[in-house]
Order: sequence, then C-alpha cells, then structure tokens
Amino acid sequence: MAYTFKGGIHVDEHKLTDGCPIEKLPEPDYVKLSMSQNIGAPCIPAVAVGDHVCVGTVVGAVPEGALGCPVHSSVSGTVRAIEDNLMPTGAKESTVIIDNDGEGTVADTVTPFEKNINDATREEITDIIKNAGISGMGGAAFPTYAKINSAVGKAKLLIVNCAECEPFITSDHRLLLERPEEVIAGIKILMKATGVPEAYIGVEDNKRDAVPMLKKLTKDADFISVKVVKTKYPQGDERQLIYALTGRELPQGKLPADAGCVIFNAATCAAAYNAFKSGMPLVKRIVTVSGGCGKEPKNVEVPIGTPASVLVEYCGGLVKSPEKIITGGPMMGQTQWDANVPVKKGTSSILLLSADYSKKPSLPATCIRCGKCIRNCPQHLMPSYIAQFVQHDDMEGAEKYGAMNCVECGSCSYNCPGKVEIVQYIRVAKASIRAAAAQMKAAKEKSEKN
Amino acid sequence: MAKDKNNVTAELPELFTVSPSPHMKTADNTRTIMIDVMIALLPAYVWGVISFGLRALAIGLISIVSCILFEALAEWILKRPVTVSDCSAAVTGLLLAMNLTVTVPLWMPVVGAFFAIVIVKQIFGGLGKNIVNPALAARVFLFSWAGDMTRFVSFGTKVNSLSPVLGDADIVAGATPLASLKAGTVPDKSVLDMFLGNVNGCIGEVSAILLILGGIYLLTRGVITWHIPVAYIGTVAILTFIFPKTSASWNYMLYEILAGGLMLGAIYMATDYATSPMTPVGRIIFGVGCGGITVLIRYFGGYPEGVSFSILIMNLLVWYLDRIGMPRRFGTKRFAKKS
Repeated sequence: MAYTFKGGIHVDEHKLTDGCPIEKLPEPDYVKLSMSQNIGAPCIPAVAVGDHVCVGTVVGAVPEGALGCPVHSSVSGTVRAIEDNLMPTGAKESTVIIDNDGEGTVADTVTPFEKNINDATREEITDIIKNAGISGMGGAAFPTYAKINSAVGKAKLLIVNCAECEPFITSDHRLLLERPEEVIAGIKILMKATGVPEAYIGVEDNKRDAVPMLKKLTKDADFISVKVVKTKYPQGDERQLIYALTGRELPQGKLPADAGCVIFNAATCAAAYNAFKSGMPLVKRIVTVSGGCGKEPKNVEVPIGTPASVLVEYCGGLVKSPEKIITGGPMMGQTQWDANVPVKKGTSSILLLSADYSKKPSLPATCIRCGKCIRNCPQHLMPSYIAQFVQHDDMEGAEKYGAMNCVECGSCSYNCPGKVEIVQYIRVAKASIRAAAAQMKAAKEKSEKN
Repeated sequence: MAKDKNNVTAELPELFTVSPSPHMKTADNTRTIMIDVMIALLPAYVWGVISFGLRALAIGLISIVSCILFEALAEWILKRPVTVSDCSAAVTGLLLAMNLTVTVPLWMPVVGAFFAIVIVKQIFGGLGKNIVNPALAARVFLFSWAGDMTRFVSFGTKVNSLSPVLGDADIVAGATPLASLKAGTVPDKSVLDMFLGNVNGCIGEVSAILLILGGIYLLTRGVITWHIPVAYIGTVAILTFIFPKTSASWNYMLYEILAGGLMLGAIYMATDYATSPMTPVGRIIFGVGCGGITVLIRYFGGYPEGVSFSILIMNLLVWYLDRIGMPRRFGTKRFAKKS
C-alpha cells in the first residue's frame, strides 16, 4: 500500500532520464557563483578580482549573525569578475565569476572530520554542516543547519524526501540508485545532529527500483524505514509528505518541527555525508538536463556555478528550438532570461521546453466552474473563487478564502480546462495582502510614535 | 546583459521567454469537455431518432444550429470574442432538443435556442456566468405553449413528417409513464422496457440504460463527479420507496426513477458546470435538493414532471451551497487534535 494525500494531480511524468547513469561533467572553463544560493541573507563576496582560489575556498561569507550559508569555490582558478546579475524576478544578484585553471587544487581548509560519528557531538556535526554551506537541495534551499536547530528537541521523526514529484527531474532517483550508501550515511549523521530517534525514507512508487537497495542497506538499522508513497504531484511538498507518512497536517506558518518532523532532501543527506567524510563543502551537485529540446537528456554531476549553456553543449546540443529555459521543475521552477544562468545549490534540473508547452489557448480564458481546481488543491482551498475575487479587486474576499494558505504548486492552473492562470491570480492576491499588512503595520508604528 | 566570452549559443536563443509557473498545462480544454458531453449524449439521442423518427433528427439539427448561430450573433452584437468553437452552444442545442417531444412545431427549437443562448446565457455574461441552466430554462419558457410541449406520440409510431407544424390527425397520441404515475398507477410498460427505452417521452429522455452508459463515460473521463447524480437519483429513490403510491414499494420506486427526465436531468443537466456547485459537499446538497423538489412536484404539483423545475430552483442556490461546502482547509482542526 502506498501512502498518499487528498488532492493533487497526475501529471505527465516525462522522466526521460531515469535510466541515464550520473555522468561527471568535464571541468567547465569558468563558474558563476551566485551570492544568493539559498533562503536567507545574500553572502558578501570574500574574494577580490584577481585572487587565486582553490576548490573549497570560501568566496562568499554570511553576514555576521544572519541566516545563510557560505558559498565555496567549486573550481580552482582566478576570480575574473564580481558583478551584479539581473534576475527574472527583477532582483539583482551579486555573482563571483571564477576562471577555472583546470588543476582542481583543493583548499587546505578541506580536511576530513577527525572523529568517528558516534563520538561527535550534535554541535560539532551542525558546525560541519553549517561551514560546508549545505542548504536544501530539493529546490527551496533552506539552510540545513538552521533546519537542524529548529528541529532539536521538537522533532521525533526525520523524513527523507525522495518524492521527486516534478516531471522530468530524475537527479534524486539516480542518486538513490547509484549512491544509496551516501544517502543512508547522511541520514544517520542528520539523525545524530537533530537527536531524532526514527527516520522514514519517502520514495514515490515510480522509483520502486530504488526501494530494494535502500531496504537492504537499512536492514541492520531498524530505526530507518523505507516508505513508498503514491506518485502524485505535489507529493514532494513537505506538507503533503508529512501528511502522507504521519497523518499530521501542518498549518500555514508552522514549521515541520511543530508537527514533530524534520524533513531533508535525499541529495542534502548525501551532501552532509560528504562534508563529514572528506570535509569537502557543497561544491557540486547532480543536475537533470532534460525538457525535450536537447539531443541527449542526461543526469550530470556538475560544479556549482556551471552555466546552463555548458550543460546543454555537454548533452549534445539541441534538436528542437526551446522557448523557455527553466531551473527546477516545469511545475514550480523558474524561467530564466538566458542560457548563462548558473547551477545553484538548489537547482535539481535545467529544462529546455519547446513552444509546444506554452501554446496560447485559442479561446479567451474563462472559468467554466468545473470545480477541478477545488478537488486538486492540496491545501483544500477554492482556487477559482480566489481568482474571481482578485478579478474583482476584492483582496479581503481573497484573504477570507485562504489565499495566504496557497503554496503555489500550480495544480489548479495545470488542470484548468478554461485555461485561467489561477495560481498567478492568487500570487497577485498574496502580494497585495502582504503589502496591505505591511502598510497597516507601518501606520500603526507611526501612530504609536506620535 | 553581460555576455560571457565563451558562451555557447550556437543554437540557443539569446533570450528566452520568461513566464510564471506552471510551465506545463493539461491538453484538456473547454472544447474537449463539451465534445465529451456530446459523445456521452449521442447514444441516447440516436435511440430517440430511431424510436421517434426522422423528425427527431430534424429537431436536433435545428436546435443545435440555432444555438450556434444565436451565440455567434449575440457575441458579435455584444462585442465579445466569438466563442462558438468551444462547442458549449452545441451542447445546449443538443440538450434542448433531447428535452422536446417529437411533435413540436419546428419553430419551437429556434425560439428555445434564442431564449437559452441570448436571454439566459449571453445577457448574464456568457459561458460560466449564467445562473440557470440554459437548456432547461428554455424548455420551461417553451411551456408557454403547453399543448405543443406535452403532445406525446405512442411508442413505436415514428414521425417522419418534416412539415413545420403537425396537426392532431398526423400523430398517434399516447400517455407517458409519468402521467400514469401521477394518476397513482404504475405504467402498462414493464420496468425492463422503461430501462431500455421502449417507452414514449421526450426525444432524449427515454432510454435509461444509454443515458447511464453515457454518464459512466463522463465519470471515467473525469468530466463529472458522482456526487450530483447519485445524490439526486438516490433521494428520489429513497423518497418514492418510503412513500409509494402503490402497494409494491420496490416496483413503484423503479418506475419513478426510470420515468420522465430524471436520468437525463440528474446526469447531464444538474451536473452543468456553470449552474451547479463546485464543492463535493455542495454538490451532494444540490443533488438531494433536486431530488426532494422533484418528488414534491411529481406528487403534489400540477404537472407530472418536476425535474426541470427542481434543477432550476436549485440553480439559484449554487453560491450558497458552495459556501456551505467550503472544504476544511489543510492544517486546520485535525492538527490540533492529533499532535
């Protein structure tokens, strides 16, 4: 029996690369390291143009006292430039560009942890993970050390998210197939760090081939169990995974720790293990290059900061002209301006989608009240009603109908036969409600001052 | 945009389209759904044409073509995009024809189409905005000509005449099963005949089995959900079982649910998206309400059939039913109890 949740949608999986072994990318000529790799404060460049850096050298430091992870150089070479890149969101991101000398010299700060895991204290492990710059590798990129700290004393269960419910992406699937021992060792390290006695590995049933190996490797560790969850989008949303595995519903604004859980992505576990074993910070990751436009879709292990264009070239170039380039999945990933966009710590895939996926509907977008969005909403909202409130500029109504509970998974827009961009309307509502709340707060503060 | 000296854009465009997620959509659209509805309706309609003759075919074509023309005309006059290609007007036309008897004058489907499309649908804002079911509202409007609307031929006599208006001499009149039930007796047809459609009535309502098969098709295609049909037919079944007009409860109940437009109404008209609730709970209340009103009208009303009126009455409550049926938001209530 597979665990599941209420709502959600079945999307075309397009897992073109689930049979493609992980390949190592030849050293790229240069890397672009964004100073905003994760949730939290952007890093401050810790190097200057012309500096020589090694693999593992800190190039971006976390501002004093802020939430964030340091950024390390993923190649050895010379800092060519530090520049601001304009992102599609309109924000500017500071980026350090490093020319690769191809030597692969490792920084002398990179040394394996001297103690055995059983002798290490919780604080020591957390420090290693913090200094290794590990943040969630599933997409949201929340700093892992902060997650560990939020879970200590509250969480009773560690969940490993191997749902990978987005179409196309197979990087976690291949990791589980080829390096399951790294993931499991990482789970044990993270269990020690969080002080959690039990762990579940949640795998979607389209990755059943990874289950026997995981079960074999956890045979002598009865505190880790492998759970198969139904293939359904958005099973990888932590709220839905926690619900499927424990029956607990996480309310809006609460952390998984409040439901007694702490949840990590499979790749994050493996990164924690590598930081522990070799002392190497998070400088590479597995990326699925797919989307239907490339010649040979692949799973590639790449240095963080590799430009997407290099990956496209490595995967044999294009056979179809792409309309969009996406970092992340087609359901929640971000479209990017150009192919120079670098891989970040949270970039699980680079997708090149053709115009077939963004055909303009021939008829005007109209809600025909079919109710599919209501049935599909994993947060059990009434998306079409919220969209209609927004169309009539009634943000209070939108808030009353739960706009702020929306996780923007896009299930509503995906399945809308009337082709209404429902989730986009809800984003408008959320932005407007947030702005109104901020305005109210400011006005209140002002009146208190007077 | 800064250009890297070694960037590889031999085939990559310099700039890509940037858009909000999701970047994938289902291939289903309004048109595919409307075509599914027509596919589901077709067997029952074809059975109507086989049973009642070529005139039934003519009425259907006139009704569909008029609906499409009135939709295009109304949208053109109202300066809206012309959306006849979504096929929703064609579905309305087909449903309207299936709700008429084979003997109606040929101008009636035209008048009905005008009322359904222009008055009920377009004036209220077009697709998805109308508050009552267009085909049913048109049918009830056409009861202004009650004599024409209630002239049923006896089953087995085909009407192939295409003359615009039929005289009484042109047809062999027969009472419908509903008229017998109204009088408190079971019809002279067997339950099996009622189920298969060997009875008289409106063009598209007679064959329960074909209507149910079409309903199963719509369920498997995900076009409708079970809530409204099951709640509607179930309510009628329970009420007529508890309060039968004859001594045999089971028998009487079966006649009541197979007679008249109940199957057509419950599966195809009450489930009309625009005029039914979107939430599962709302849909169940809607179905129960339709069933209750149908039985009340059939038992106590002045007219033997209550399906059309009951659905139109419940149509008006849809917004309230959706508020009652608002789902429990994820993370409320149960979290507090369980953790």
